[in-house]
Amino acid sequence: MSVDPNEKPFLPRGVRLHFDKVRDDWVLLAPERAIRLDDIGLAILNELDGERSLSMIATSLAEKYGAPADQVATDCVEFLQSLVDRRFVELRQ
Amino acid sequence: MAWKKPTLREVNG
Repeated sequence: MSVDPNEKPFLPRGVRLHFDKVRDDWVLLAPERAIRLDDIGLAILNELDGERSLSMIATSLAEKYGAPADQVATDCVEFLQSLVDRRFVELRQ
Repeated sequence: MAWKKPTLREVNG
C-alpha cells in the first residue's frame, strides 16, 4: 500500500515508541520486532495521532525545523512508506 | 536541530 499525503498515519495496536536503556536510544517496538530511530524519525512518529494527515504533519515539522516544506514532505512520505511496508504504521482515510 | 533525512535501523535474536 502506498502512502498518500492526505491519509492519516497512526501506530496500530501493539506498536509503540519505547526508550531502550541498553542502547540509550528510542526504538519503535512491535511484537518480536524493533526498529531503532534517529532524532528526526522520532520527531515524525511523535506527530502521528491518527487525526492529522501526513501533509499536515509535514507542514508542522517544516515550520518547527525551518526546513523546506517539499523536502520535509518527501522525507516523511519515504520514511512512513518504509514503516507501512513493515507494518509498523497504518493509515486511515 | 536541523532537518535531515530520517533513518531506520532494524534490530536483530
